[in-house]
Amino acid sequence: MSTGMNHTKGGLLIFTANSHPSSRELSKRIAERLGVELGKVQVYQEDNRETRVQIQESVRGKDVFIIQTMSKDVNTTIMELLIMVYACRTSCARSITGVLPYFPYSKQCKMRKRGSIVTKLLASMMCKAGLSHLITMDLHQKEIQGFFNIPVDNLRASPFLLQYIQEEIPDYRNAVIVAKSPASAKRAQSFAERLRLGIAVIHGEAQDAESDLVDGRHSPPTVKTTGAIHPSMEIPLLIPKEKPPITVVGDVGGRIAIIVDDIIDDVDSFLAAAETLKERGAYKIFIMATHGILSSDAPRLIEESPIHQVVVTNTIPHELQKLQCPKIQTVDISMILSEAIRRIHNGESMSYLFANIGVDD
Amino acid sequence: MPNIKIFSGSSHRELSHKIADRLGMELGKVVTKKFSNQETCVEIGESVRGEDVYIVQSGCGEINDNLMELLIMINACKIASASRVTAVIPCFPYARQDKKDKVGSRAPISAKLVANMLSVSGADHIITMDLHASQIQGFFDIPVDNLYAEPAVLKWIKENIPEWKNCTIVSPDAGGAKRVTSIADRLNVDFALIHKERKKANEVDRMVLVGDVTDRVAILVDDMADTCVSPREPWLISAGATKVYAILTHGIFSGPAISRINNACFEAVVVTNTIPQEEKMKTCPKIQVIDISMILAEAIRRTHNGESVSYLFSHVPL
Repeated sequence: MSTGMNHTKGGLLIFTANSHPSSRELSKRIAERLGVELGKVQVYQEDNRETRVQIQESVRGKDVFIIQTMSKDVNTTIMELLIMVYACRTSCARSITGVLPYFPYSKQCKMRKRGSIVTKLLASMMCKAGLSHLITMDLHQKEIQGFFNIPVDNLRASPFLLQYIQEEIPDYRNAVIVAKSPASAKRAQSFAERLRLGIAVIHGEAQDAESDLVDGRHSPPTVKTTGAIHPSMEIPLLIPKEKPPITVVGDVGGRIAIIVDDIIDDVDSFLAAAETLKERGAYKIFIMATHGILSSDAPRLIEESPIHQVVVTNTIPHELQKLQCPKIQTVDISMILSEAIRRIHNGESMSYLFANIGVDD
Repeated sequence: MPNIKIFSGSSHRELSHKIADRLGMELGKVVTKKFSNQETCVEIGESVRGEDVYIVQSGCGEINDNLMELLIMINACKIASASRVTAVIPCFPYARQDKKDKVGSRAPISAKLVANMLSVSGADHIITMDLHASQIQGFFDIPVDNLYAEPAVLKWIKENIPEWKNCTIVSPDAGGAKRVTSIADRLNVDFALIHKERKKANEVDRMVLVGDVTDRVAILVDDMADTCVSPREPWLISAGATKVYAILTHGIFSGPAISRINNACFEAVVVTNTIPQEEKMKTCPKIQVIDISMILAEAIRRTHNGESVSYLFSHVPL
């Protein structure tokens, strides 16, 4: 890939608004691939915990790309990004593109009882602060693109994960792609199609708290009140969901099981799936996920489980978790992000980056 | 009072309880927690449909977390069909980043960003206290009530400083002169201000006192105390003051501020409870607290009933 930049269009500046050094790794790699230096900026927290951003070079008339990876302190990372975007806007940058490999709060994208749709709130705040374009990767729900009124590029990590499967798993042709719940069946199927493998779906494990409240607010109220309006006008009660026993639909006996998902955070459901697959005869279990959040004691639990390897991309820094659990492998996706930045800056087509992506991925 | 609900964020629950007590009602049920990946989760526990909602959250402690929590709560109430959502923010966060200073013309105006964020999340009204610069009211398109702690401060001075009739109100820098003259006029006493003569950048400079403090009690008045870096009171004592008090609206006291206060020779450092002070009072006996919950409670009551709030600018409600 040639690194000659088209400088006649006002110049390119790449910043990262992360204050934590481990979060800056991805930005450094992207800048290296593009052959530019990271822009000079100081981001730190003052004594009273307020974030302070000081940009140390001119941004007037330039195309600014701000790369922000989510660290342990999500709210501070969001504030750092917003303050940086606003600072660039009031300093006359020509355009401001946010590169957020993992979009935060993407699991709170639905209305739940009396909660807030935080993803929509974040989208409004980013647009209001001055963002003119957003690049992200493997959004939890594609509909999140509609929350923004600026262009959003939802890149895919699946080509990298597929390449890892083909190169690093020796007898992948004897594998089965597994979806740990019916919700991720579409993703499993798109992987299986491209690898020409079969799929299996696990159904009936304990649903986690989020999907319980997916029906939104309970209206009408589920409590039967005495003195209904009219006997024949009684509204039927919602039948409470039952939890069927765990079943695996599909055959995994004597095969490698590859569980595919977009986010791996709380590993309880993955551990339950791994146990079930082991019982049904899978001899090796892999987990491929784009975003490896791996919070609290996920590394320890994975280390003690029958899972052979967990493969995640470097959208979220996880060095600490890798030290605790050597089963975690990283796939580098800085190439696709730097290619996206280059194409957007030069005004070229991005369709090459979506070449082999299926409808369901 | 019908149709009103008050919710509290996690930054300053004691103040919210005091406000609710004054209004004779219970705080609304809300669950605020963090998921294991540190994302904030807010769930409102009662119906707010058609209600006038007030959310009390101060910009202190972990500011970014508390700010996100406030925004998510406002948004949750708004999309749950509350009729009006008011954010009560006793200490406004990022208030000092409110202009581009000459050090970098690329400085962000974070106070404007926070104003945008509050509007975008759905707030219809803001109630705050002693904004660092009253121009911040202009950053909003929605109504902002900037209440004053001044009446409460005057009351405290009259009740707790025996020689108040013969004191001097001192401003620690030239920028606070307006605030100090207003207090001095109401007490009918003199004022003074400290002026820094800076010879070179980063060199600690001469302090010039404009005014007279000999044989008087000096009362330093400012809006916030953060790191308490440059001590002024040993200098006031050497200029002839008998005792030195410090009265501040927002007592942030971050970093080594508490140890600096303990080593200094203040008679007392008085702050309001816009920011929780329980912990700091345990380590520093010189800190005293003025309770301003009744001003906020009265402002909420008057806003809800559609009455005038200007009474609060010169009187302390009982």
